[in-house]
Amino acid sequence: MEIQITGLRKHYASEGRIIKALDDVDLTIPANLIFTLLGPSGCGKTTLLRAIVGLENPDAGEIRIGDTIVYSSRQGINLPTEKRGLGMVFQTYAIWPHMNVFDNVAYPLQNRKVPKEEIRHRVAETLAFVQLEGYEKRPATRLSGGQQQRVALARALVAQPKVILFDEPLSNLDAKLREETRKELKSFLNDLQITAVYVTHDRVEALALSDTIAVMRAGSIIEIGSPKKIYFDAESEFVADFIGRANLVKAVVRQQTTDATIVDSDIGRLACRKGDFPIDAAVTLCLRPEFISLAKGEHEGTNVVNGTIVSLVFVGDAFEGEFRVGEQLLLARIEPETSLAAGDEVGFQVRPEHCLLVAK
Amino acid sequence: MNRVRRWFTCCAAVVLAVGMVWTDGAAAADDTVAFYANITAVEPIMEAFTAATGIKGEYTRISTAKFLSTVFTEFEAGKLMADVIQAPLPVLEMLKDKGVISDYVSPEAAAYPDWANKNGIQLFGIEYVGLIYNTELVNPEDVPKRYQDLADPKWKDKIVMANPASHATTIGWLIGLKEHVFASEAEWRDFLKGLAANNPMLVASFGPTPAPIESGEKQIGISMPKYIVTKAPAPLDWARVENQPLMGTPRAMGISSKAPHPEAAKKFMDYWLSKDAMSLLATKVGEYVLTPGVFPPIDGMDQAQVIPIRELSDDEIATWGEEFKKIFALR
Amino acid sequence: MSGKHTNLTYLLIALVGFLTVCPVVMLGFGSLSEGLTATGTFTLAKYASAYSDPALLEVIWNTVIFVVGAAITATTLALFLAYLNIRTDIPCKFIFGIISIIPMMIPHILFSVSWALLLNPSNGILNLVLKELFFLDSAPFNIYSLPGMIMVEGLLDLPIAYLIIAPAMAAFDASLEESSRVCGASTAKTIFRITLPVLRPAILAAFILCVIRGLASFAVPSVIGMPGRIYVLATHLYQMVSTGFAADYGKAAAVGMSVLLTSIVLIYLYRHLTSAGERFVTIAGRGYKPTIIKLYRSKIPLFIILGILSFILIVLPVVVLVYTSLVPYSMVPSARAFSMMSLKHWVDVLNDPISLLSLKNSLFLGVFGATIGIVLSIFVAYVIVKVRTRAAGVLESLSFLSFSFPGIVIGVGFMWFFVRTPLYATIWALLIGYIATYLPYGIRPLSSAFVQIHNHLEESSLVSGASYLTTLRRIVIPLLIPGIVSGWVLMATMFVRELSLSVVLSRPGTEVLAVQILRFSEDGLWGRLSALGIMMIGISTLLVITVTMIGNLFRPADT
Repeated sequence: MEIQITGLRKHYASEGRIIKALDDVDLTIPANLIFTLLGPSGCGKTTLLRAIVGLENPDAGEIRIGDTIVYSSRQGINLPTEKRGLGMVFQTYAIWPHMNVFDNVAYPLQNRKVPKEEIRHRVAETLAFVQLEGYEKRPATRLSGGQQQRVALARALVAQPKVILFDEPLSNLDAKLREETRKELKSFLNDLQITAVYVTHDRVEALALSDTIAVMRAGSIIEIGSPKKIYFDAESEFVADFIGRANLVKAVVRQQTTDATIVDSDIGRLACRKGDFPIDAAVTLCLRPEFISLAKGEHEGTNVVNGTIVSLVFVGDAFEGEFRVGEQLLLARIEPETSLAAGDEVGFQVRPEHCLLVAK
Repeated sequence: MNRVRRWFTCCAAVVLAVGMVWTDGAAAADDTVAFYANITAVEPIMEAFTAATGIKGEYTRISTAKFLSTVFTEFEAGKLMADVIQAPLPVLEMLKDKGVISDYVSPEAAAYPDWANKNGIQLFGIEYVGLIYNTELVNPEDVPKRYQDLADPKWKDKIVMANPASHATTIGWLIGLKEHVFASEAEWRDFLKGLAANNPMLVASFGPTPAPIESGEKQIGISMPKYIVTKAPAPLDWARVENQPLMGTPRAMGISSKAPHPEAAKKFMDYWLSKDAMSLLATKVGEYVLTPGVFPPIDGMDQAQVIPIRELSDDEIATWGEEFKKIFALR
Repeated sequence: MSGKHTNLTYLLIALVGFLTVCPVVMLGFGSLSEGLTATGTFTLAKYASAYSDPALLEVIWNTVIFVVGAAITATTLALFLAYLNIRTDIPCKFIFGIISIIPMMIPHILFSVSWALLLNPSNGILNLVLKELFFLDSAPFNIYSLPGMIMVEGLLDLPIAYLIIAPAMAAFDASLEESSRVCGASTAKTIFRITLPVLRPAILAAFILCVIRGLASFAVPSVIGMPGRIYVLATHLYQMVSTGFAADYGKAAAVGMSVLLTSIVLIYLYRHLTSAGERFVTIAGRGYKPTIIKLYRSKIPLFIILGILSFILIVLPVVVLVYTSLVPYSMVPSARAFSMMSLKHWVDVLNDPISLLSLKNSLFLGVFGATIGIVLSIFVAYVIVKVRTRAAGVLESLSFLSFSFPGIVIGVGFMWFFVRTPLYATIWALLIGYIATYLPYGIRPLSSAFVQIHNHLEESSLVSGASYLTTLRRIVIPLLIPGIVSGWVLMATMFVRELSLSVVLSRPGTEVLAVQILRFSEDGLWGRLSALGIMMIGISTLLVITVTMIGNLFRPADT
């Protein structure tokens, strides 16, 4: 089911200042895909999610889920949360500690007055789906973090809502579990025909899980696109920086060719991915560390940068190498079996499509 | 939110309904009589009255401190439920001034002394005060023979009394001593100084006075002889002061001018003043009553001279209270 | 969230305001009108004469020492008891838990009289024993003193403090303490640097409630203070109204207004001090249990200290009560006293139809009143904790209004109010008056409990399609059970022994226990008084045990 948000506004007054949690947000969340709201804390992503589910009262605007207007300031509509028929997984999971697994999961069905026999059946089915068969009688307080997360998911799914919302559901899990759960979640959601709205501040999670990502900042959505589009082809410096690690270098546009934009940057003249910039525009060159493959010695040719290694940090699957080009420090990803060491003269050649230009 | 409100109201309604069923509604039929009184322990008389007349007597005890404000409040709101009102004489006088008391004179009043009938207010007893002592701790030769003896230093730290700065009856009683017992005010003041020097334990009212005497915490007190009856077999007796009277505030009663049950009220007052009822009051509660020939079952009380204290205005009580506060060095 | 609850907030403000403001407004009228009722012509004379009394200054000084001392005593003892009871492996926890709430069930006047019997300087039993043991010339203790008053009032307020502190202690996140230990702090240092500061909201709440109760208390100042010639506000007011026959409650109300003001300032201060802190302790959707601290070597000594303290402070006065109910009159224990023991007073009480009626009425008011009171408190506490708007603050202050008025005056305020309604002289007037006056007893423990429920637990229920009421019934209330039990116990035991309102509002047919007890005390009948008092304790104990067991039924087996 598609979600349409128009002109949604929510302002808070805090210590005498007005905080714009939602600054006239317009957004269409496509049906049956995983849609992620990504942004730093305080950007308004959780407020947006809570407005969709009805836990937050916006000041103005309209929210439409499928054909139903659930909120409209103009028409005076504000459907209460419990009537919106959505599913949601909370950051804290919000597993009710006084109930066992069965009661937790059966709760949404009981509220919808589903017959007892069917409830039993559907709870069992849903628990099987999240791989918690036979856990019905387990008290909620005796579950591990991962199990609680699955119970929360089962509870959100059991009533077969058309939309499911996630509020940073993986942030309380340890790294390994988080990775496994993320994969599982993706496959669960792919198996279901369901619209999922996912809030996170973790870019890896967003990239790995989403069909579409919307990046938010200060109450506004600044960019929407597929993970690849956001990663490779961000339109703003903020998005480019937020979605992955990036070397940001000041540059000035010099020439537009048919397939590239030529810039003069702090690290030299480079041919970059074609961008719609006028000549002499000041831009930011965004170079991701994983596209820089350093090699010993001074390089020659086009799109070549030379520098000196300042430090190497071993992070397991690679080294993170810092090297200096003139005044500029750049970060590069270096193979773990490299023979490079600090002080070495190095250089690299970069393909124009990996040199992203974004407006300042 | 509407549902919340509706649920809330429903809840309240159900709860009220359940409660209604549990507690049966108060009887308000014509065969009852409501009696507001500050006198205590009169249940035997209420029962005897019901047995004799078939009218249900409802006794509401209101302490002296709350008496006037309660009755006035109800009276002004048109909700005075009392048929018959009993209180110390000064209280009834004030009620009469405001038109709360009717002029009814009971035929039974004829048996009482003339001074006991004050056009509608009938005096029937005296809240008599005396020196009460512990018979096990006080040697017979030490028992005071005159009120003056209480100022003797041998009683230091052994006396209990109600607070003379605030307890109206005690204030009245001390003034009664001045007017009926002591030859001069100077003599009386010397007595008060001696009493104060004995450092008596001061309590809020007469109620807490007998307990310290019984238990031996104190040995003697300015208290009420009726406790000898109500607290038997406690080792209490009263000091037979020679040629000196026992004194107290008159107990008075009258019929409410707006009595909901006027006929029942008259019957009640007539019964209350009868010799039967007064005998019950004397024997069961130890009260001193004005019915000739009826005495509380306390040895020697039929010989005692018991007199009413002159009526004191509240201003006078307050002024003397301040004075006693100084004499007893309170605060 | 806030927008959704505006209606509920205003509905509750209207309801609670109506209940608590009306009597106080009537008292305001009374203090400003001539004559003995609230409807006379306007005058400021009552304020002028009440506040020009030169004794007032000393009275205020005594009052400050008395209430602060008592509140410190109660809070400290409650902390000590609650910590040992809930956080350590001290034996016999159940007994100590019961003991710490016993003073709640004893009529205060009886508890005070018991202490006078134990520690009066002439022949107090404990004083006699100590004199014998240590060959002393004079009695070591004099109960008729400020320290004596502070101790007895402190003990009487102990249950209030305990019932507020204990649930917070139980919900304490042990990892906060553990991390302190990891940082190298000793157990004692952890208690003072971490445990107590984190519990600050509950401790402050307990302290302030005790201060307010101390201000309104009358039994201890009259039974212990008056003989010692120590006057505090309550007894000062009593003297003011009882000197003379035309008691002027308007004048007393004039003084009461400044007590009220003090209480309101205290409540605002409290809100201010805890506005950030109340978010400290929360249960999220992940279960945990506070760890039990092992006492090792200090276990037995602490147990003995606790045992002796409980015995002397609480059990002994109750034993004195039982003794008093069996001997024919007040007497010091002796062979003769024991030989004279009988059940006469008990038989008298059980044959007295009014005593029996008062037992029935008080039981009804306790059970029924506390139940309604708790339902109302749940809504009010919800708004106070979860909505937290300015209006919610108003609601909280309103709930304290009649609670903070001195007891001997507020009853008259309710009379002036109820006489204008058809409820006057019915048991419903008592019921409503009780609930209005003692609402904070329900709200305090419940708001502590609400603070500990993470918003997500409710929100996920709403998302699951449950209405607010279903959420309240199926999620919030089960999680609130400990708070509900505490609040119910506080309210029910309070209602069973309520005196200040009852003495003014009770009428034939609506007699209640405390009024009957007062009647016995005014007639000096201590034996019957004690017998009825013990029955009252019995009823309260029964109520406490029943509701604790019902509470346990609703609690999940695991937590």
